[in-house]
Amino acid sequence: MKEPAISSDAPGEKLLMLGNEAIARGAMEAGVQVAAAYPGTPSSEILETLTKVAQKFDIYVEWSTNEKIAFEVALAASICGVRAMASMKHVGVNVAHDPLMTASYIGAKGGLVLLSADDPWAWSSQNEQDNRYIAEQGYIPVLEPSSVQEAKDMMADAFRLSEEFKHLFMVRSVTRISHGRGDVVLGEITRERRKGSFKKDRSWLVYTPVAARKNRLLMIERFERIRQAVDTLPYNRLKLVNRARLGIIACGLSYSYTLEAIKWLELEERVSVLKISTPHPLPQELVKKLLKSAAEIIIVEELEPFVENKVKAIAGEANIPVKIHGKNLLPVIGELSTRKVTEAIARLTNSKPPVNFTKLDKLSEETAPILPWRPPTLCPGCAHRAALYAINSAAQRVARDYGKPTEPIYPGDIGCYTLGYLPPLEAVDTTICMGASIGIANGLAHVVAAPIIAHIGDSTFFHSGIPPLINAVYNKANITVAILDNSATAMTGFQPHPGIGHTATGEETTSVKIEDIARACGVKFVKVADPLDLKKAADVLEKAIRFEGPSVVVLRSPCAIIEQREKRQRGEKTIPYYIDQDKCNEKCGACIKLLGCPAIVKENGKTIIDGPLCTGCGICVQVCPHNAILQES
Amino acid sequence: MAKEFNVLITGVGGQGAILMSELLGEAAVKDDFNVRGSEALGMAVRGGSVVSTIRIGSEIYGPLIPMGKCHLLIGIEPAEALRNISYLSPSSLIILNLRGIVPFTVSQGKSNYPTQDEILEKLNRASRQVIRLDAACLAEEAGNPITANMVMLGAAFGGGQMPVKLETIKAVIQSHFPAKLAPVNIKAFDLGYQACQQAVKN
Repeated sequence: MKEPAISSDAPGEKLLMLGNEAIARGAMEAGVQVAAAYPGTPSSEILETLTKVAQKFDIYVEWSTNEKIAFEVALAASICGVRAMASMKHVGVNVAHDPLMTASYIGAKGGLVLLSADDPWAWSSQNEQDNRYIAEQGYIPVLEPSSVQEAKDMMADAFRLSEEFKHLFMVRSVTRISHGRGDVVLGEITRERRKGSFKKDRSWLVYTPVAARKNRLLMIERFERIRQAVDTLPYNRLKLVNRARLGIIACGLSYSYTLEAIKWLELEERVSVLKISTPHPLPQELVKKLLKSAAEIIIVEELEPFVENKVKAIAGEANIPVKIHGKNLLPVIGELSTRKVTEAIARLTNSKPPVNFTKLDKLSEETAPILPWRPPTLCPGCAHRAALYAINSAAQRVARDYGKPTEPIYPGDIGCYTLGYLPPLEAVDTTICMGASIGIANGLAHVVAAPIIAHIGDSTFFHSGIPPLINAVYNKANITVAILDNSATAMTGFQPHPGIGHTATGEETTSVKIEDIARACGVKFVKVADPLDLKKAADVLEKAIRFEGPSVVVLRSPCAIIEQREKRQRGEKTIPYYIDQDKCNEKCGACIKLLGCPAIVKENGKTIIDGPLCTGCGICVQVCPHNAILQES
Repeated sequence: MAKEFNVLITGVGGQGAILMSELLGEAAVKDDFNVRGSEALGMAVRGGSVVSTIRIGSEIYGPLIPMGKCHLLIGIEPAEALRNISYLSPSSLIILNLRGIVPFTVSQGKSNYPTQDEILEKLNRASRQVIRLDAACLAEEAGNPITANMVMLGAAFGGGQMPVKLETIKAVIQSHFPAKLAPVNIKAFDLGYQACQQAVKN
């Protein structure tokens, strides 16, 4: 394996880094010894980067089964005096929420950092939640970088601060930091390695009510010391301009949009700017200074008015007569941009943006109607396409026996297969959070009369599919659970999981079998089928759906991307299919209408297979009523 | 040093836009520019529309290119270039691969794909310089159709406005690929470079 650039041991060197690589590098510079995570966009590359340097720098790195466990692994290391981190996407923090709310009572011995990667505009997520609120609830101080360089620096400093204040810190990234790129000047990598030691201290670590009350007080004291320190933290910076009418408070990444907007509007000498890198706790003295200096204030932050509400409280309490703007001029939905910030500031300063946005909006509007709709889609050869097709065929057969017109219901989950909601498969009826397919199926079983087939990926099943499966057995929910096992956490970049047989760092380990788990949960009907054999898979599924009580079918076939990659490495050729135009009925189009494989396209009225895209999975052959699809020889 | 040079790379997941921006950004850092950029990863890359940004220069701020501020648009897929028309200004240079990728929604009759004339007509109205080439054809000439993204990167340099040095980007490409694959990628880059230079002259 080529050594990644981020392991460079040349302090002062400048490198181009992905934000997530910079975050990993920051942790290395802080001497992190334990890193745990569950993959989730936009956070996955942080731990992935660390797996590549784990051996060289003696870092214990693991893909945990879910975020709760990842956080607990890091917490335990911190309790033993070792620097540790857990990284996850914003909704992953919900999974870790339970230990998190007591972890801040514990604080930290070895530096402990939780990296939360939020996803404004929900580019790759089910919601836009703002994790600064979770941090606030748990008395967890937050560092929020404004650039890739700062992401690295803050990550390194977060460990130092965590040990200085004996408290857990959160570094909050967002998609445009984590998946942003920037030049980064490297610092020194800490080589010191500590030996973990567990000291029994029940009044600190056993959370009985008595311990909770005692440690809650200590937590509040620690947090108060942090509150006093953030005013002098160099990441928070106030630039006061004499006689400026407008003061701008810019938080995290929004600071970069704000600087650009100020330059565009040529307001450098007319507005004061407070850069906020600790939204929780706020640097109150800096905020007061700014409030007193200006007649109007605007808070520039993505998502919720978190800082805005606090600033309003500070102004009210200190009786500072100043007009405060924020979400009245900037959206709560989605990401901010230079344009949005420019427009807001322009309104408050009566200045004119240098770009005619209205004209550009008009251009976009005029263009939109001729653009094709290009949603993300299941890859050519993806076994999920076959699995969802088979589920649909089997469920429709059973639904017919219900007498009156009945639609089967498909509670779905989080992963590539979520894309099966699109036509033509349309085999996903709910997507809520990790593991919810089976939980929702449980509830449906008690209120509707219809075949209920939940489907969930392999990694998601390990993550949070097991308790709701046990629930179905215990509470006699008559549901079928299809576990789409493609032997990877594919959507986030093919990370391994407990069923794969090797760890994050490539070590061999026990491979946990999904069918064994299902049987151990008490499910009486458990079968494994190959989804690429559509008929057999549908037959097994039909039996499962007709089975009285919860049933499980593991539909196992490897991720097509991984399989193609491995084939290329072995020097094996893929033999694509083609359509015999003499046999193909142009009016039929069953292959396109039923499967929606990107490799099957219409060209000049003819249906053809795009050879280089075809992986040779062969499911189109099975749905063609004219036997017109043949494999090249 | 250039104050600000904004490159927008538009295409479809799987065409190699991310690699292009990574190589370009790395070369820019080697030439001692400040660099900011942003990628579409995760859900977006499964065959959906993708946009990569790379901003190079001494006065750059956020990772995203503001509307109307793109200096160079590398359109690996023509309809996706069109989708980002609001980032263009009359002085933007557009390098356009004419080879389209028709999404499955068109085969299913759920949407339409614009004609080449429609695409060019709109882009020509937004910007004064549109350079067209067939990257797939040049990539095949180079020896591997998968190198179409390197053809486009070469063409981007052939346009003559790129602040990054030619020898720097070539060295970065050379060292990125395994020794066996570097020559075909360099050749694809050169063919794109020449094709674009030729087009600029005409």
